[in-house]
Amino acid sequence: MTNTLPISETLVRLHELQPKVCAVVRRIEAEDDSMDRLKSLGICVGRQVELVKRGDPLIVRVFGSRLGISARLADRVLVEPCRGGCECPDGTKVPL
Amino acid sequence: MIAGPPSTSLRERDGRRSKSERFTLVLAGNPNAGKTTLFNALTGLRAKTANFPGTTIECKIGRANLDGQQIMVVDLPGLYSLDSSSPEEQVAAQAVRGRLSDHSKADAVLLIVDATNLERNLFLVSQILELQIPTLVALNMIDMAEEHGLQIDPAKLQLELGCPVVPISARYGIGLDKLQHEIARLAATATEPVGFVPPKPACTGCSGCPFQARYAWTEDVSSRCVAHAYETRGRRTENIDQVLTHPVVGVAVFFAVMFGVFFLIFQVAKIPMNLIDGFFAYTAAFAARHLPEGLWSSLLVNGVIRGVGGILVFLPQIGILFFFLSLIEDTGYFARAAFVMDRLMRRIGLPGKAFVPLLSAHACALPAIMSTRVIEDRRDRLVTILVAPLMTCSARIPVYTMLIALLFARSPIKASLTFTGAYAVGVMAALVMAWVFRHTILPGESKPLVLELPHYRLPSLRTATLQMLDRASVFIRSAGTTILCISVGLWFLASFPRVKAPPPTASADTRVAAARDQLEHSIAGRLGHSLEPVLKPLGFDWQIGIGVITSFAAREVIVSTLAVVYGVGSDVAEQHPNSLYDTLRDAQRSNGKPVFNTANCFSLLVFYILAAQCLPTQAVTRRETGTWKWPLLQIAYMTGLAYFAAFVVFQTLRHFGFA
Repeated sequence: MTNTLPISETLVRLHELQPKVCAVVRRIEAEDDSMDRLKSLGICVGRQVELVKRGDPLIVRVFGSRLGISARLADRVLVEPCRGGCECPDGTKVPL
Repeated sequence: MIAGPPSTSLRERDGRRSKSERFTLVLAGNPNAGKTTLFNALTGLRAKTANFPGTTIECKIGRANLDGQQIMVVDLPGLYSLDSSSPEEQVAAQAVRGRLSDHSKADAVLLIVDATNLERNLFLVSQILELQIPTLVALNMIDMAEEHGLQIDPAKLQLELGCPVVPISARYGIGLDKLQHEIARLAATATEPVGFVPPKPACTGCSGCPFQARYAWTEDVSSRCVAHAYETRGRRTENIDQVLTHPVVGVAVFFAVMFGVFFLIFQVAKIPMNLIDGFFAYTAAFAARHLPEGLWSSLLVNGVIRGVGGILVFLPQIGILFFFLSLIEDTGYFARAAFVMDRLMRRIGLPGKAFVPLLSAHACALPAIMSTRVIEDRRDRLVTILVAPLMTCSARIPVYTMLIALLFARSPIKASLTFTGAYAVGVMAALVMAWVFRHTILPGESKPLVLELPHYRLPSLRTATLQMLDRASVFIRSAGTTILCISVGLWFLASFPRVKAPPPTASADTRVAAARDQLEHSIAGRLGHSLEPVLKPLGFDWQIGIGVITSFAAREVIVSTLAVVYGVGSDVAEQHPNSLYDTLRDAQRSNGKPVFNTANCFSLLVFYILAAQCLPTQAVTRRETGTWKWPLLQIAYMTGLAYFAAFVVFQTLRHFGFA
C-alpha cells in the first residue's frame, strides 16, 4: 500500500466525490486533532469510503457506520474513486 | 508481548487483594456502543455519579453483586481511541490503563463492542488488548447484527482476541447471565489476555500511519469472524436520514421536536412546580403560625424553608428536560439534530450541539447549563454556558408580566408585541455575545464537525428514568447547598439590622407597614439607597434598587419586594396581582410625578432581560466549569450589558419625552 503515488489526476477531494461511488483514501493533508479524530473513526489512508450525502456537513460511510463531517475537513482528504465495480487495491470488494 | 507498568502493578495487587477491597471493573467502549444501558443493567439503582479527581468530567460508579462477589463497576466516557486529544477520552484512556484516580486502580476492563460495526470497534479493542490488562469483551447488539444478516462467530473472535467474548443485548437482557458469570470468574482469577498478537505496520520502513496497520488488522479479524449472509445494515437508518438530515426539512423537524420538549418543560413542569411552591408556602405559613414570632422563626420561614423550596422547585424542569433528552439521545436522533444545526450555528462560532442547551434555556438556565456536557470542545462549551442565561427563562415571566401590565394595561396587542420583543432581545443578545466571546476571550473557530450517526433504535424508558434521577440528585448535591446559602444570605441582608416588630395583635395594615420599615432599614434597603446614584441614570429609584438586590435569589422576587416596599404586602400581591399593579401605577414621587413611567418601565424590562439576577445559575456554572472564574465573568458581563442597555433605553426614551 503506497501513499506516495504520483497519480494526482485520479485523486479527488472527499467532498467532491460522487454520491454512492466508493473510493479509497489515499492521502490526508494537514494533520491535527480533528484529523486524528477522523482517523480513529475510520477515515484513514487505505480505508474504503463512500459519500452518502453531499453538502456541508456531508455524510460519509466507512465500515458499517455513517459519519457526519464538516466540508472543510473532507476537503483535506484525498480519495481515489473505484470505477466500474473494481476490486479496491487493498483487496476489499466494492459493492455497486 | 509488552508488559507495561500498569499491568505489573495490577499483577502485584492481585495476590494481596483483601476481601474488603472490591474488585474494580472499568466499562469502556465506543460512544453509541450501549455502554450506559449495560451499566444500568449491571448495577441498576445502586449507582452514583462522581467527577474524576481534578476535572469536571463525570463517571458513574455502581456496585454489582455477582456470584457472591462485590464488584465495583465504573462507567467511563465513550472513546474511539486511546490516543485521543479530547479531555473526556483522555480521562477514559487513563482509567483503562489502570490509573483510575490517585487512590484507586482499575483491576480489569469490560470492553463493550457494537456487533453491527465490528471493524471500527475492533480498533479500540486492539489498543486495549495490547495493554495486557485482564479484559472481557461484551459483544453488544447481537440481536441487531443478526437482524441485519451479520453472523458473528464469538468462539472464533475469542480465539483471535485471546480473551473471553460474550455476545449480549444489553437492551433486551440477552446473554447478561453469561456475562455476569464471566465477570465473576475474571474477578476471581484476574487473568490477562493470552495469545493476542498486536497488529504491526505492514511496512517497517515507512513512517507508517499507526491507524492504517490497526485497521488492516481489524478488517482481517472481522472478515474471519463475520459472515455477511445478506447485508441490510443501515438501510432503514439511511431512509430515515434522507428526511432528518435534509437541510430544510431536517431543521424543521428539529424545531418541532425541540418545541415539543420545551412545551412539556414549560407546561407539564408547572404542575409539580406549583405543588412544590404550594407545599412550601403552606409549610412556611404553618411554621410562622406555630412558632413564637421572632428572629429564629423568620430565619426558618423566610431563609431556610424558602431556600429549600427554591432548590426543589427546579427539580421538575431538570427532571423533564433530562428525561426527554435521554429518550431522544437514545434513538440516535440527536446526532442528526447536531448535524443539521451545525451549519447555522457555525456562523456565530458555536457547534450544532450547542443548540439544545440554548433552546432549553428558555425554560430554565440551570438544566440548560447542565446539558452542555454534550458539547465535546471545552471552549465551545464555555461560550454556550456563558450565554445561555440570556435566554428568557420562566422566572423572568412574572417580571415581564408586571412591567408590561404597567406599560400597556389597555392594549393587549402592544402587550404581546412587547412580550415577543423581550424574548427576541434575549436571543439576539445571546447570539451577539457568543460571537463576541469567540472573538475575544475564547478565540478560534468551533471544532469542525466529526460525528457518528448511529443506527436508529427504540429508546429505553429505564435509561431515561435513571438519567432523570441521576441529574436531579447531581443538582441537589452540587448546587443545593450553594442555593440554600444564597437564600439564607439574602434573608440576612433583608432582615438586619432589626426594627421593632409590631405586637402580634396588630392589624394587617400595621403589619404591612412594619414589614416595609424592616426592609427599608435592613442592609438590603440601605444598599438600595446607596445604589440610587448608580441606578438613577437608568430611571430606577431606591425601591427598585432593593428589588434588584433581593432578586439575586431569583428574578421573580423583585415582584414581591416591590409589593413590600410599596406597602401592598407580599401575600396580597400574590393573590391579587392587579392590586399590586394598581398601587405601582398610582405610586408617586415626592414631587407628585408617577414612579413608573414608560421610560423606566422599558429600561427595567431591558435590565431584567439581560441581567444575571439568579445566583443559582452561577452555582451550577461553577459546578460545570470547575472554577469560580466563569460564573464571576458571567455575572459581570451580564450586569454590565444590562446596565448599559437599560441606560441607553432610558436616556433615549427620556430624550423623546417618555419620562
